[in-house]
Amino acid sequence: MRATRLGAALAAALAATLTLSGCGGGEPAGTPEAARTQSQAPQGPVKLTYWTWAPNMDKVVEVWNKAHPDIQVTVSKQAGGDDAAAKFLTAAKAGNPPDLVQAEYQHLPSFVAAEAVADLKAETETVKGEFGEGVWGLVTLGTDGVYAVPQDSGPMMLFYRQDLFDEYGIEVPKTWDEYAEAARAVRKKDPKVYLGTFSSKDPGAFTGLAQQAGAQWWSISGEAWKVDIADAPTVKVADYWDGLVKEGAIDDTPYFTPEWNKALADGKLLTWPSAIWAPGTLESNAPKAEGKWAIAPMPQWNAGENHTGFWGGSSVAVAAKSPNRAAAARFATWLNTDPEAVGALVKEAAIYPAATKAQTALTEAPGYFANQPDFWQQAAQASAGARGFTFGPNVGVTYNAFRDGFDKALQDGSPFSGAVRAMHEATVADMRKSGFSLAS
Amino acid sequence: MTAVTTRRSTGLLPTAVLLAGAIYCLFPVSWVLIAATKSPGELFTTPTMAFGTGFLSNVSDLLAYRDGVFWLWLVNTFVYAGGGSLLATVVAAVSGYALAKYRFPGRALIFNLLIGGILVPAVVLAIPQYLLFSKVGMADTYWAVLLPQILSPYSIYLARVYATAAIPDSLLEAGRIDGAGEWTLMSRVALPLMVPGMVTIFLFQFVAIWNNFLLPFIMLGDDGKFPLTVGLYTLLAAGANQPALYNLILTGALLSIIPLIALFLTMQRYWRTDLSSGAVK
Amino acid sequence: MTYSAKRRRASRRPLLAPYLFLTPAIVLFVLFLAVPIGYTAYLAMRRTRVSGLGLGGGSRREVFAGFDNFAAAITDGELWAGWLRVLGYGAIVLVVMLGLALVFALALDSARVRLARFGRIAIFLPYAVPGVAASLLWGFLYLPSLSPIRAVLDVDLLGATTVTYSMANVAVWGGTGFNMLVLYTALRAVPRDYYEAARLDGATETQIALRIKIPLLMPAIILTTVFSIIATIQVFTEPTTLRPFTNTISSTWSPLMKVYRDAFVTGDLYAAAATSIVIAAVSFVLAFGFLRVVRDRAFGEG
Repeated sequence: MRATRLGAALAAALAATLTLSGCGGGEPAGTPEAARTQSQAPQGPVKLTYWTWAPNMDKVVEVWNKAHPDIQVTVSKQAGGDDAAAKFLTAAKAGNPPDLVQAEYQHLPSFVAAEAVADLKAETETVKGEFGEGVWGLVTLGTDGVYAVPQDSGPMMLFYRQDLFDEYGIEVPKTWDEYAEAARAVRKKDPKVYLGTFSSKDPGAFTGLAQQAGAQWWSISGEAWKVDIADAPTVKVADYWDGLVKEGAIDDTPYFTPEWNKALADGKLLTWPSAIWAPGTLESNAPKAEGKWAIAPMPQWNAGENHTGFWGGSSVAVAAKSPNRAAAARFATWLNTDPEAVGALVKEAAIYPAATKAQTALTEAPGYFANQPDFWQQAAQASAGARGFTFGPNVGVTYNAFRDGFDKALQDGSPFSGAVRAMHEATVADMRKSGFSLAS
Repeated sequence: MTAVTTRRSTGLLPTAVLLAGAIYCLFPVSWVLIAATKSPGELFTTPTMAFGTGFLSNVSDLLAYRDGVFWLWLVNTFVYAGGGSLLATVVAAVSGYALAKYRFPGRALIFNLLIGGILVPAVVLAIPQYLLFSKVGMADTYWAVLLPQILSPYSIYLARVYATAAIPDSLLEAGRIDGAGEWTLMSRVALPLMVPGMVTIFLFQFVAIWNNFLLPFIMLGDDGKFPLTVGLYTLLAAGANQPALYNLILTGALLSIIPLIALFLTMQRYWRTDLSSGAVK
Repeated sequence: MTYSAKRRRASRRPLLAPYLFLTPAIVLFVLFLAVPIGYTAYLAMRRTRVSGLGLGGGSRREVFAGFDNFAAAITDGELWAGWLRVLGYGAIVLVVMLGLALVFALALDSARVRLARFGRIAIFLPYAVPGVAASLLWGFLYLPSLSPIRAVLDVDLLGATTVTYSMANVAVWGGTGFNMLVLYTALRAVPRDYYEAARLDGATETQIALRIKIPLLMPAIILTTVFSIIATIQVFTEPTTLRPFTNTISSTWSPLMKVYRDAFVTGDLYAAAATSIVIAAVSFVLAFGFLRVVRDRAFGEG
């Protein structure tokens, strides 16, 4: 009997240990809490975490940490793009977001709608003048608030293989009509080569093309959202690419796939309508083509115009729940306006800065484009003609509908304009379900 | 004479079958091996099955990436997989033993409930687990990845099967007659008999945690706590305007499989023989 | 003390012990399964309600939604289409994977096989490759311009009809070794003299395999089938990883992908919670239905 009791006692002890190790988790959990309280105390340095996926951001942050022993920033490198946005929203909902987060412009409205980011209006009053109106609109969303500090921008341009253009005897297209002609000409000269490709996986690129044509997917009228994704300019863009893909003049390999990388490396793809950040991608995927690529303004819908759209670009936002909002805002403004910081961003993270002064300070072309000394002048020109629009609060839904819709259109040959309408319907249905006010 | 030919031919057929299977299974692995030797420039330009020249530079690039964060990921993975599977094995063995060797009210219910856990997809569980961990301030800690993986329905099932087969009831009865307590019986008689089975459970759970992606991906924000799977994913999904570091990913994937292969090769010897003898009544 | 008295005492003793031994597992079960599931059920009955533009403070509230989310999940045509796709995919995976596992296990266990150790390790090796890596790897091998397979076989491996097979191949590749090991372990547990007796009676190795080994393996086969059914219903990693390579896999290809999409891409945690409960219920019915039928054989013990 005694032995049984001993056994029971031991089993209970084991169970208790295991349970304790379960609860013991509370101990390390207390630590960040403790660190937080400590950081609020005046004596210790403020500790900030920063979620980003820009390469080499650690090196830029190092500069800040050296100069500001009282505010120490830790970089946490995340998987980029939509994953990062979803993860930040979940973290904010759960109540433990990082202090600072890299926010792509199209995701910022979702962050604001989820009340995940702080209004930095007071903190950014002094740096407002450093940014152009277009890019500033992307962080205010046309409201009185300021929800992030712009970091980089991605005006679109036409990247093309200069050497192969010469070889095939093709002129750089100035309009989309010329682009279509060139696409057909290339196919005739070499059936293995395409002038370009349409990606059903990159809603960001399509958004940029639609912006160039003058699309206005979302806008705010009074106290209601106006949604018009299947507007005339967007349908025009969709129909244009639809035609080219269907007649076989353009490929449909998605961007950033191994397949696409190979086509770039092999010289089977002659152009890429992309954003200013493209040199980094080209350099890492087709290192041997260095000096063979060149940039030109985007082909225009009407000859003589100078319009383009944006693809990508990020801002730095401060979490609404951050206990160190002032310090975080100080860091965010420093990172994106201080000449030393922006210089380091350009050099280490290879971004095209959003701050106007920093843009004009760029002189030396990226190494990969050493053959084109006027690279940055071209970029500045493109930037001047770029037009964007206010993004809506559920871009995730819209972009997902883009992928599903265009995948399906490519698969069963249905018209692209149908996919655009599906995007519109999915977006409106989701906003209606959530209860957003919609202007009809 | 006929008997001899039949025997020889039946020896040939299974060998051929196994070889075909081995080739099928090794083919993609050999592809990674080759791909990991290619420099970024070679990856998309040289023939698929031709060796490249960049293996050493890939490895050194990977190890130098962000001041050697790869090492940190490797250590983290060992912590999660080692710690988690050790605890999982103990919990499973004790539970399996109790379910196999005792008759008590609620036995079937408890067993079905524990096993039923396998029906709940990880994707479904990870989100509420994350929200709940956040509520108690434990999200983004080592515990958030370690604790949920201690309970493994499949391990408990295996442990129960082993306990049933490996522990003779007569031995327990004899122990009880000699006045041994239940705790003593479990720790001194049952668990030693279950060691071979526990090695297997440990191994399976180790592999499961080593390869788990979704739970750490959702739970962790600090990249210093990432395991290999999530760390490598951050290289792949670098965002639209950042090039994916394919050569580093392939090299990293190769390096992350090596410890598991080593584990297979060394542990194989133990659990091939022991497993079968443990399972025989 | 008489024998029967001893017996009585012995059987009276372990009353509390099994419960104590099971306490760690039960505590973990409650904390990391029951509570999260309960929380999911709670979330499934809620939704966000936005007012106006949804941009100012306090314009977003969480409200009670009753069974709206469930109704939406059950009436969602995409979800059912997803079930159908998974059904087709699952049938291929189950038959091919378990068939191969059985063949390999029998080959390993046959009397005169060579290279058994090498074969076993090689076939088991894919199990060590994380699902994400395995899909990525095969994804590379399927791509037209990179694939060494395409050099031999001129089929679009990621086309509308072939993509299901291609995905099934990834699952078969990763899962065969594990199931082979389970079956092989069960075979090793069979006393060798069973076969010797048959051999003395003049049975060939093939006859031994078909008439003795496979019937003996039935419980293990049933078990691997149950676990494979459950794993197949939950297919997520393969289609998600292959999706960027092809335009034939939508974001709602499998039911679990829809959960992931709702939760992480379109940000509707509540719809995701409701859908996941529907999925768990369907898995429950399928797996336990199958288990009910074969339960005594699979879990039969002394």
